[in-house]
Amino acid sequence: MTTTLTETPRTSVAVAASMRGGAKTYGDGDAAVRALDGVDVDIAIAEFTAIMGPSGSGKSTLLHTLAGLDRLTAGDSWIGETRITGLSEDKITQVRRDKIGFVFQAFNLIPSLTARENITLPLDIAGRDIDPDWFGEVIAILGLADRLSHLPAELSGGQQQRVAVARALVARPELIFADEPSGNLDSRSGGELLGFMRRAVEEFGQTIAMVTHDPTAASYADRVLFLADGRIVDEMREPTAERVLDRMKQMGH
Amino acid sequence: MFRLAVKSVRHNPKRLVLTAVAVALGVALAAATFTLTNALSGGFTKLFEEIYAGTDVIVEVDPDADPAEEDPFAATESVFTGADVDEVAAVDGVSSAWGGRQVMGSVLAADFEPTNDVMAGGGPPSQLFNWAGDPRVDQATLVEGDGPAADDEIVLDLDSAPNLGYAIGDTVSVATEAGVEEFTLVGLVRFGESNSLQGATLGYMTDARSAAINGDDGYEQISVIVEDGANQDAVAEAIGEILPPDTRAITGEAKAAEQTEAFDEILQYIDIFAIAFALIALFVGAYIIVNTFRIIVTQRTREFGLMRAIGVSGRQLRTMILLEALVVAVASSTIGIVVGYLGALGLSTLVEAFSGDIFGTVTLPLDAVLWGYSLGALVTIVAAIMPAIHASTISPMEALRESATESKKPLRLRNVVGGALTLLGVLAIVVGLYMDIERPYIPVGAGAMILIIGVTLLAAQVLVPLAYGLKATLTRIFRVDGKLAANNIHREPRRSANTAAALMIGVMLLALVATFTESMKSLVTEQFKGNSADFFVFSSQGAIPTGAIEVIEGEDGVAYVTSTGLGTVLLDGGTTNVGVIDPETADLAFDYNNEPDFDQMDGGVFIDPSMVEAGYEVGDELTLEGPEGTATLTVTGRYLNEGDAQVWIDEDTGHELLGDYPLAQSMVVLDDDVDAAEAQDQLLEALAVDYPLVVLQSPGEFEQLANQFIDLLLGIISAMLGAALVIALLGVANTLLLSVTERTREIGLLRAVGVRRRSIRRMIRIESMVMAIFGTILGMILGVGLGAALVRALEDFGFTTITIPWVWLLLYTISAAIAGVLAAVWPARRAAKLDILQAIAFDG
Repeated sequence: MTTTLTETPRTSVAVAASMRGGAKTYGDGDAAVRALDGVDVDIAIAEFTAIMGPSGSGKSTLLHTLAGLDRLTAGDSWIGETRITGLSEDKITQVRRDKIGFVFQAFNLIPSLTARENITLPLDIAGRDIDPDWFGEVIAILGLADRLSHLPAELSGGQQQRVAVARALVARPELIFADEPSGNLDSRSGGELLGFMRRAVEEFGQTIAMVTHDPTAASYADRVLFLADGRIVDEMREPTAERVLDRMKQMGH
Repeated sequence: MFRLAVKSVRHNPKRLVLTAVAVALGVALAAATFTLTNALSGGFTKLFEEIYAGTDVIVEVDPDADPAEEDPFAATESVFTGADVDEVAAVDGVSSAWGGRQVMGSVLAADFEPTNDVMAGGGPPSQLFNWAGDPRVDQATLVEGDGPAADDEIVLDLDSAPNLGYAIGDTVSVATEAGVEEFTLVGLVRFGESNSLQGATLGYMTDARSAAINGDDGYEQISVIVEDGANQDAVAEAIGEILPPDTRAITGEAKAAEQTEAFDEILQYIDIFAIAFALIALFVGAYIIVNTFRIIVTQRTREFGLMRAIGVSGRQLRTMILLEALVVAVASSTIGIVVGYLGALGLSTLVEAFSGDIFGTVTLPLDAVLWGYSLGALVTIVAAIMPAIHASTISPMEALRESATESKKPLRLRNVVGGALTLLGVLAIVVGLYMDIERPYIPVGAGAMILIIGVTLLAAQVLVPLAYGLKATLTRIFRVDGKLAANNIHREPRRSANTAAALMIGVMLLALVATFTESMKSLVTEQFKGNSADFFVFSSQGAIPTGAIEVIEGEDGVAYVTSTGLGTVLLDGGTTNVGVIDPETADLAFDYNNEPDFDQMDGGVFIDPSMVEAGYEVGDELTLEGPEGTATLTVTGRYLNEGDAQVWIDEDTGHELLGDYPLAQSMVVLDDDVDAAEAQDQLLEALAVDYPLVVLQSPGEFEQLANQFIDLLLGIISAMLGAALVIALLGVANTLLLSVTERTREIGLLRAVGVRRRSIRRMIRIESMVMAIFGTILGMILGVGLGAALVRALEDFGFTTITIPWVWLLLYTISAAIAGVLAAVWPARRAAKLDILQAIAFDG
């Protein structure tokens, strides 16, 4: 593990999250499955990073372990300057609360809370005050101003995902993790959503790490990481949908 | 279909566990009672059989002739003379006949010290008889020493003598109505085969001594032994022909059967009482079952949609759910019956360790099994009907839906039905309580049940604004945890309302009983306000001996003693309870509620409200027929409280009609300048000589004693309702648990965005507490309301003020909050332990 560390030293500047020698094994003995097999990765600040890979490549596991939702079997990971491997469950929860925003593929919202309450939920939990200007700006960009008092059940799929993005943005987290955020949307709504996320990176300098298997979605990112069999096998900057698709085809997908 | 149902239950047994526990608890309650009463019946049947085992024919007062003789434990009158006994002995086929006489009294323990404690003489009574010397007549066999030959000799049963601290040769003291009598213990006897006296003390003395103590040489019954080979029935018939009127001859066997039957009838009331509480418990359980199945159906909407899509009919789905309910019912009833039986077994062993062998063999009676299964199955199936119908209406389209959408069915229908039922329930209760109808408890009981269901339905509507109202407060106190909890409550108002209502029922009954008993205490206090007596006289064993009253009257400083006697007379062919008072002093010592005062009685009678209702009025002539005589009297006034005695007469008329009547209550009034405490000591000392079991209670002590009894009543009923409350709490836990499962994703999401485990637990806890307190408050409102209505309806019995039991209500609310926290323990832990990744994983 120390050897991995010396191979690619952590650059303490401009990194929102990182992992060194990350390994995750499910099960024991012969039945053991290595979902992550020695991953070194840095998520650069103010960048939109996409993580791609075929099913079973470990991309979701990578996201979960980076975000502190799941624990690594071996290796270390950091959120900003905080090493989260080895922290207690309560401490990790606090890190997630204060530093991370989430957008999932579905079931992003608490059904009993209105759109506004869902958006301010992380701030409410942390007991932090809402910055009304920032809230207004996020709402305006995402076009949710007239939907704030609605319950999730009264919103379309695209609107629900936009509320989720708003929730992630409003708390000004150091980093947003998105897991197939457009996976359940039609291509128009999906494109709109990814466009908003792109704008958040460009206009507010928000850091986003997104897992996807859709080359079009990946094309919104600044940088694409390709994952196969629990390892990072390639990286692409300034991706286009075609280039990503080609690369995926090479990986036999 | 049945296999599918069984599979479904086995596939996910956890969600049905609490439902099963709820059913099992109710069934166990019923099964345990049946087992215990069956064992008691067995024990006493054996006792009765032994009492009459040796006697072939018994001659006694015909119980059909005198209505006062219906009570199998009542003392019988001495109607047979020595000549009657001789006549019976001379009948053909009679080998010997023996007159039997019982002496009322208590064998005092060797170390007995008189105390001013009403409970001092408590425990099983003494049974004292004249000694025949023939084991077939006495039902007792001498096992040590000799039988009583001289008048100062006594024999006791072999268990009681050592228990009371006596050995042969000791002097035995017996407190009788004629004073303390002393004997020498000369022998020990064994009752029947094994001396199973159910805890009582048995003793025999000579015929002459028993007659002297009773002050009457008559006999209560004649025991007959027939000659060998004679037909008992024929002899009984032959004896019957020569008997005085209103008496009969009956074979020992028939007599034992009669007594057993009478006793079983009493036990039947215990069974009914227990079934009532079991039904309450199961009624509460039914709420849980409805909720569980409702939630299960919601959770399986997609599964049912799929089944519908592949061609399963709605009716088949309905049948399947009902079959699932049946599987649960059978399983949990079986557990309930076994637990009930084991509980009864444990309890009987415990009781026998303290009070001796009073139970027969404890077996599981068929009654327990039949009632257990039918109650369990009925409740479960009925409760599952609505959810099953709901499941059968699920459209195949549901299978294709993305996610189970929150059904926002309006509550209008529920409100209309709920409102109608509430009104109907209130109406039925009012009719039952205030209209003059026969069996008022039927409309009251049915009304209460309809009211509960109505309020349950309406509760959903109340919960929504309530939860919104609470949201701000909860959010302020508990921040976001409180807000989420408030949201969760009004999200599924039906479910929350049903859960709260289960608790509501138990609390309602508790509040009702508390309101009633507290009002009863007020009544006692109220009555004591009108009291000028210094002491109330009690005997810790039955009636107050007349001799004791004479002792008190003879002491210095006592102004007078005024007593109330009770008896039964016939009036226009019906039995009537009669109270006997001294018109001169009664109203001076105690402010009776009458019109005019008793001193205006003028040798006539006063009648109570029930008599007025029956059509009698002041000025009427009543002909009262007592065991000793008949008198025609004018109604000169009214006694305004119902329930004490129907007609009131003065002492002279009392003696004329009833002869020596038992005293129910005596009040002592002291001279003005006498110190009450000193007088109490002085009087007790005087009484200790001959009447050690007679005690004096000052009004304060008596009031306290009365209140203690009322509290005891409240305690017993509360304990019986405990099962219903436990079930209701299981219901809260169950609903929360199922809700947690349903909200897995949501809780996962909350955890992902940074909500701590502690907060999740707190959220569930708040939810639970709010539901518990809501149910408790609803229950208290209903309970106090019904209690007040009941008190108002009993105005005729002297209830004047409705006392709201604030202390109890506060206690219930606090308990509800604590119970809410307890009920949330398991669900909260489940919720906090949810694996975030599994919770948020997309099940694609």
